[in-house]
Amino acid sequence: MLRKRLTRENLNKWIDGLVASGLRVIAPVRERDGGRGARDGKGGLTLFRPITSSAEIAADYTKTDLPFKEWLFPPTEVILHYRIVDGEPVLEDPEVDATKTVALFLRPCDAAAIPILDSVFGGDYEDEFYMTRRRNLTVVGLSCTEPQPECFCAAVGLSPTSEAGSDILLTPVGDEFLVEVLTEKGEQLVNQYADLFADAGDLTKEQVTEQAIAKMLRKESLPTFAETYSELFEHPVWEEIARKCLGCGVCAYSCPTCHCYDIVDEATLFEGVRCRNWDCCGFALFTLHASGHNPRPTQAHRYRQRVLHKFAYFLQTYGRNMCVGCGRCVIKCPVGMDIYEVVQKVAQASERVGV
Amino acid sequence: MVTVTATGMAMPRETVKVSRNIYKPYLMTIVDMRDETHDTRTLRLQFKDPEVAQTFDWKPGQFAQYSVFGVGECVFTIANSPTRKGYIECTFRQVGKVTSALRDMEIGQTIGFRGPYGNWFPVEEWEGKRLYFVGGGIGTVALRGVMQYCLDNRKLYDEILILNAARTVADLVYKSEMDEWAKVDGVTLVKAVDPGGETPDWDGKVGLAPNVFEELKPTPDNAILVTCGPPIMIRFMLLAAERLGFKPEQVYTTLENRMKCGLGKCGRCNVGPYYVCKDGPVFTAAQLAKLPKDF
Ligand SMILES: Cc1cc2nc3c(=O)[nH]c(=O)nc-3n(C[C@H](O)[C@H](O)[C@H](O)COP(=O)(O)OP(=O)(O)OC[C@H]3O[C@@H](n4cnc5c(N)ncnc54)[C@H](O)[C@@H]3O)c2cc1C
Ligand code: SF4
Ligand code: SF4
Ligand code: FES
Repeated sequence: MLRKRLTRENLNKWIDGLVASGLRVIAPVRERDGGRGARDGKGGLTLFRPITSSAEIAADYTKTDLPFKEWLFPPTEVILHYRIVDGEPVLEDPEVDATKTVALFLRPCDAAAIPILDSVFGGDYEDEFYMTRRRNLTVVGLSCTEPQPECFCAAVGLSPTSEAGSDILLTPVGDEFLVEVLTEKGEQLVNQYADLFADAGDLTKEQVTEQAIAKMLRKESLPTFAETYSELFEHPVWEEIARKCLGCGVCAYSCPTCHCYDIVDEATLFEGVRCRNWDCCGFALFTLHASGHNPRPTQAHRYRQRVLHKFAYFLQTYGRNMCVGCGRCVIKCPVGMDIYEVVQKVAQASERVGV
Repeated sequence: MVTVTATGMAMPRETVKVSRNIYKPYLMTIVDMRDETHDTRTLRLQFKDPEVAQTFDWKPGQFAQYSVFGVGECVFTIANSPTRKGYIECTFRQVGKVTSALRDMEIGQTIGFRGPYGNWFPVEEWEGKRLYFVGGGIGTVALRGVMQYCLDNRKLYDEILILNAARTVADLVYKSEMDEWAKVDGVTLVKAVDPGGETPDWDGKVGLAPNVFEELKPTPDNAILVTCGPPIMIRFMLLAAERLGFKPEQVYTTLENRMKCGLGKCGRCNVGPYYVCKDGPVFTAAQLAKLPKDF
């Protein structure tokens, strides 16, 4: 691993250099026209958007309103085109975005979500739509110095300065940045601008990490349920927890790791597309069969799926849990559902019955 | 390539055409069809691409995504055995959007087909064993491919019992081919309808499938039981099998969770940590007993 240091001035030069070299650079941008809903009262949403200059980056952002996910797995996407010619369907493969892209300033939670999505969309039956964009993406993470009240990355095996998912991780140390170059992809971005970077010397991020974790309000390691989900499945605690859930899906749509999707056709008489759209296990129709049978008939069944998918099933299948502790679902939920508290509550309930 | 945004800024953008699209179906022509009941139809399909027709292979018990362009996709079992290649058959019940559109299609028209997906019945492990197939209603469709496979490889198995049951005579599928199954040496065919579902000229049994099966006194020795039907029937079949002395490892069934991708990605069909589309749809009673009740 290469370790470098970078001044603030050179950071901007580097970013502008990347833009000038023809790469698409996507970074947190405050969209002032983006309407209402920003939680910090400064107006506009902070979202990942392509930039043409380092000056466009939202300098004071803590966390974007939506995660980077939409650039790898868009809310809606055409997966097949077809035309009806003389009564016969003619299929056409769609074009997929293959722009060489640098994702700048992902917080460590959002960066860590990318390998999670990779394990779903890669593997056997590789999803070319996702993987094409992924292969063309280099991730530059930015450590957190100001964890927000909802954050709990340290409770799910990460930290405000963890490297997971980043090709390069920047950590502000004093007036400078420590630059950890973690992959070959990352090296390429640094090597081309070698004169902007100096040797890291004795610059370390230890203190920054400690200070950030000290500021974090929720960092008690969360339990997981890979071993106990069977016994927990019928526990009355789900009913109690899910009583207020509206099934609106905001938690899933703002989550960097949620990846459920639907496949639907949209067509006129002679032409159409097959699309995949974000979906959500909290929706009542999600598992409804045509026969009327529904394996998850109530919100308790559905919310249980959300929690167990993230803290049991995914862990069993892919070896890590499916929550990076970004806290978006916590602040966006209209009824204040808090997955950090929910997981603790489930664990306590299971202790009560001796699971 | 460069795209100019609304604000007049130039943004780099390049695209490539997808070349290994996992969602792209094969095109298939409907070459034959047969009505099984008033709402259930069997289609015979042929691949448009002769090369695919030559090479396409599957295992008994696997399923596929069938699609009507402009309407959508839906999941059916591949209802014929790989011992009968060159075409695909599916039997479907008209219950909703896609199945209704499919029902409107005519011979000569084209539909989409992607697959095969999922696991399959371990027919090699069953060699030398007695086989019992018990299907209820549309559930018999899930067994047809594997039954055909075992009938076509008759010598590899001990005696075979097929119980095809339905609520009423009118709901019984594969009426016209049951005689063919019965003719195979060492095969016993029993058909049954629920009490009240019989017609005056009904020559089969009357009774609920699990009861009829129990009355046949099938021995569990060196035997495999494969059953599929509505959830309630499966539940009572599993109980009947237990009373008859079958071990859960000897009993197979299939699950039908709602599906979209068929590839273990879309998150739709899981039962606990297992995706029915990848780890299923075939499960033993022993496996089912360990799964959370999410189906
Ligand atoms: C592994 C498997 C094998 C199946 N085999 C057969 C078969 O051989 N013959 C047959 O008639 N039916 C079979 N089914 C059920 C069949 O998939 C549904 O009846 C069908 O999808 C209904 O589609 P629809 O658009 O007409 O209904 P709608 O109610 O309009 O359904 C809309 C959507 O719901 C989904 N859906 C609804 N019900 C089900 C269901 N029971 N299972 C899965 N998805 C559902 C589909 O994705 C469909 O796109 C099977 C299901 C599975 C999972
Ligand atoms: S955001 Fe809140 S109310 Fe909406 S589905 Fe999620 S937990 Fe339920
Ligand atoms: S479940 Fe909530 S806290 Fe966890 S990664 Fe998703 S949005 Fe963030
Ligand atoms: S159908 Fe998509 S995960 Fe099983």
